[in-house]
Amino acid sequence: MARVDVLMPQMGESIAEGTLSKWLKQVGDEVKRDEPLFEISTDKVDAEIPAPTAGVLAEIKVQQGQTVPVQTLVAVIETEKGATTAAGGGATPTPSAAAQRAPAAPGAGAAPLPAKAAPVSAGPAPTVSDRPGPSLTVPAAGKGDGAESAEERLRRRSTPLVRKIAAEHQVDIAAIPGTGFAGRVTKQDILGYIERGAPAPGVSRPAAAPAGAVEHPAVEPWPGDRVEPWSKIRKITADHMITSRRVSAHVASFFEIDYTRVAQLRAKHKAAYAERGVNLTYLAFIARACAEQLRQHPIVNAAVSGDSTIYRRDINIGIAVALDWGLIVPVIKHADELSLLGLARAINDLGERARTKKLTPDEIQRGTFTITNPGGFGPYAGIPIINQPQVAILGVGTIEKRPKVITAADGSDAIAIRTMGMLTMAYDHRVVDGADADKFLADVKRMLQEFPEGAV
Amino acid sequence: MGPRTVPAVPNPAAPPIPAGLERWQLLELYRYLRLTRTLEERLTALYRQSKVIGGLFRSLGQEGESVASAYALERGRHQDILSPLIRNLGSMLVMGAQPIEILRQYMAKADSPTHGRELNVHFNDLEKGYLGQISHLGDMVPVMAGIALTFKMRGERRVGLVYVGDGATSTGTFHEGLNFAAVQRLPLVVIGEFNGYAYSTPPTKQFAVRDLAEKAKGYGIPAVTVDGNDVLAVYGATKHAVDRARQGKGVHFIEVKTFRRKGHAEHDDQHYVPKEEIERWARTNDPIDRFTATLLDHAWAEPAELTRLDGQVKDEVDQATDACVDEPLPAPDTALPGVFVEPATAERLWFRSL
Amino acid sequence: MAEITFLEALKQGLWEEMERDERVFILGEDVGAYGGAFKVTEGFQQRFGEARVIDTPIAEAAIVGAAAGAAHMGMRPVAEMQFIDFISCAYDMLTNYVATARYRAGLSTPMVVRGPCGGYVRGGPFHSQNPEAAFFHTPGLKIVYPATARDAKGLIKSAIRDEDPVLYLEHKWLYRRIKESLPEGEEILTPIGQARLAREGQDLSIITYGATVWKSLEAADQLAREDGVSVEILDLRSLVPMDDAAIVATVRKTGKVLIVHEDTRTGGLAGEITARINEQAFAWLDGPIMRVTAHDVPIPYAPTLEDFVLPQTDDIVKAARWLAKY
Repeated sequence: MARVDVLMPQMGESIAEGTLSKWLKQVGDEVKRDEPLFEISTDKVDAEIPAPTAGVLAEIKVQQGQTVPVQTLVAVIETEKGATTAAGGGATPTPSAAAQRAPAAPGAGAAPLPAKAAPVSAGPAPTVSDRPGPSLTVPAAGKGDGAESAEERLRRRSTPLVRKIAAEHQVDIAAIPGTGFAGRVTKQDILGYIERGAPAPGVSRPAAAPAGAVEHPAVEPWPGDRVEPWSKIRKITADHMITSRRVSAHVASFFEIDYTRVAQLRAKHKAAYAERGVNLTYLAFIARACAEQLRQHPIVNAAVSGDSTIYRRDINIGIAVALDWGLIVPVIKHADELSLLGLARAINDLGERARTKKLTPDEIQRGTFTITNPGGFGPYAGIPIINQPQVAILGVGTIEKRPKVITAADGSDAIAIRTMGMLTMAYDHRVVDGADADKFLADVKRMLQEFPEGAV
Repeated sequence: MGPRTVPAVPNPAAPPIPAGLERWQLLELYRYLRLTRTLEERLTALYRQSKVIGGLFRSLGQEGESVASAYALERGRHQDILSPLIRNLGSMLVMGAQPIEILRQYMAKADSPTHGRELNVHFNDLEKGYLGQISHLGDMVPVMAGIALTFKMRGERRVGLVYVGDGATSTGTFHEGLNFAAVQRLPLVVIGEFNGYAYSTPPTKQFAVRDLAEKAKGYGIPAVTVDGNDVLAVYGATKHAVDRARQGKGVHFIEVKTFRRKGHAEHDDQHYVPKEEIERWARTNDPIDRFTATLLDHAWAEPAELTRLDGQVKDEVDQATDACVDEPLPAPDTALPGVFVEPATAERLWFRSL
Repeated sequence: MAEITFLEALKQGLWEEMERDERVFILGEDVGAYGGAFKVTEGFQQRFGEARVIDTPIAEAAIVGAAAGAAHMGMRPVAEMQFIDFISCAYDMLTNYVATARYRAGLSTPMVVRGPCGGYVRGGPFHSQNPEAAFFHTPGLKIVYPATARDAKGLIKSAIRDEDPVLYLEHKWLYRRIKESLPEGEEILTPIGQARLAREGQDLSIITYGATVWKSLEAADQLAREDGVSVEILDLRSLVPMDDAAIVATVRKTGKVLIVHEDTRTGGLAGEITARINEQAFAWLDGPIMRVTAHDVPIPYAPTLEDFVLPQTDDIVKAARWLAKY
């Protein structure tokens, strides 16, 4: 005994329901195949619905007058035929079901059923390529390191939003444990990290902005004044300047440098450098001297964290660049490992890319010492503000020919024309004492004035 | 019709059969007519049993012209080719389509000729000689013109035949296709079925001519108007046109006047057609009834022969139904192959592998 | 207030505009005496007469072309494509003639072309299409695609009143399945070019339109219940012009975007939306912009095949879940 479902049919594409208007049979009645069983009415048309199979009307599920959605079970017919036939004629196929075929009705004397029609051309059996999520193969861009995978990049740089938050809060993405896709740092991860301010063990604490956001007092504009709301970069700079002065105990030392030797070396080697695509500047020499001397005076290459001093392992020198739209400090990583040529090239390149807005977020992070050089039109000497979370910043005064007293070997004094310039280092007296600063600067001065030709 | 005694063998006194047909062919025509109607009745029942999915389109009242016109073609592999519309099931059966194929198509079975991809009679077998339509009416005319063009290019003595309804003659593609075929003098016969309605639109809203045959003048081709429910008349007219086309005499237009006795599809109750008119056609002008009467009145067949054919047709439809009604629907990812030859399959989208 | 279906709301909108403005008229196949294949215009010919509800021959190019001519002369035609799949027959008229009319010749062409689109109804390749991508890139043609009964009414009214030609896409699966209570006595006009927030959320944005709005709502409920993920859903409603500001706002809010549409992946509108988000909201993205669409195959007839090809609620749930965890 098999049970066959009878459903409310769909008489038209948009029809969603039908009303069972009249039962033509009762429970217990025998029905023949295709014999009218009940009448329905829908928005479009009324119709008689025939029985799908011969048998006995066993159950009525929908009463006269009831309106139900299409495909609702309306009745059940019990039939003598074999296995239960689900409504719709085998709706859910399985691979094995495809092989089954209902046998021909008994007593078939007519010609055998024709062979299957020629199949629609479908090519070879397809291998449907399954992918566990979308393809993330992104060619690794940037610094010539072609071996980085998409997942590594994601862990290192996360997404635009997270990088934006990281830059705003001066947080290093790599320092934060990530819980997102491929272990990347998510928005929740970085916000939580900033909020807690608690680093994972062994990881240095980032310089969080001190409690109390920076508020710049309002001032009333007068008629005719032009009020220009700050750009993002101006706001960041302004807030940073205030914060820096609040955080560090700013003092400054002034040293006068005789650049005559450097000038000579520069003149001598400029063309050779130019041939190699590098503009050899005074700044390169200064950076070289600083890089070497920071290695000798680690307190100047440090950071303050709570009640501790962090002595940075790497020497990453930031070179401040003044652009039309604001200040930016691209960083030369591992500056102490670069030759004069390498430094000069790096300075050229970073400056160029800063001007053309092609710096990556990574290139403005993780500096340990900053040099600011206003250039030819700059002051005799200036007092810069420390670039947090560093402890020192070196300002380069104008370099020009000035008279200087030279003491000859025999002790006699003369006035000579020398290429001179001031170096001003502002430093954080919380951890850098005057003697530390002066020793560092004295060594920088000595190296510049006695710059070894072999190092050019 | 009163009782009659029909001799068991053909009555030598019976009038000669027209149009060059032989007695066995009359019986074959009858069988195709009966098969068309019975198969559609079964499809209707299956539709109301939720086994046929989508829409169901009957050709009730038009079986005569579909069967008779197709019968005039050279049938067999690589012979003549026709393009049927949804109400030309009869023509497809004549060309060799099998009831089980039609049933499988309507029920969206995995083993249907289109593997469940297209509905009702939208399928083809170019070797047997039929090319199913797409829903955009008129579009098959230029396509069949193209097929007829290859016959001409290759010097083959083959003919194409295409059906258009009164509605389809309003379309741009009908015009362009017919004009092209006419000016190229292609071996194409066009059967214009004037059946009274395009969905709900009567001919008075469809065009300004009275007969479709008048349109043919605009294309420079000969046309006739025929009683579409007179099987032998339709056969004769089509045979004449097909023969002339085969001789290189170009396109011929045959208008068959008939009547659509059901709505546009099963879900259309046809309330815009006066009931009396439907009943009148059913009572006095049913093509199968008329053909039956013709066969018996002329003693070209005996009642017992026809009854036996009726029984055979019913058995055939029952068997075909039983054979496939419980077959499975296509497996879901069989939807992907076959968009192109190369690549062989469309890509499965990423979220289906999560 | 009784609930009315999407179809009834559309009908109300058409009726109100026909009452309000005698320049409005309807033309199409079987729209008059029969009331339309889906009964959208049932009763209209009795009320407004044969001159304003015209039964045309089967001739989509002529229907669209004639509507354009009438629109030039100050009428407000509403041309029906019996199934939007047949709009292909009018492609030349609509893109070459109608869309360019104002730009090249200063010709005013305030007309509406409307028709039932969409699948999930086992209609096969020619009764299930979503054609918006074919017209999306044609300058000069507005495209609207309501998902709610209210917008069905509001957008048809706005479309008819708009000075530009508008393609109005009505999803046949929604016709009788969506019901809503609409306030009586209120003039409902949905502004063209404005998206609608179908659901507010915090964690992830779904940008979608048409029938998939409803599938997305189902998915969002499931995600809230099972995963505690809060999904925001933006119903675009208007494809041309598109509401960039609303798109940017939701991206900025959640940082994660899933675009869902019933049209195919390749060339579907999700690509364009992705490009705009990339241009206008890149910095706020916390994950790749993903999309759930139909597979790149014609819509097949068999239920198992159609269900596979088209996007389903379960697909949206899985995709959103994946993206939320990114």
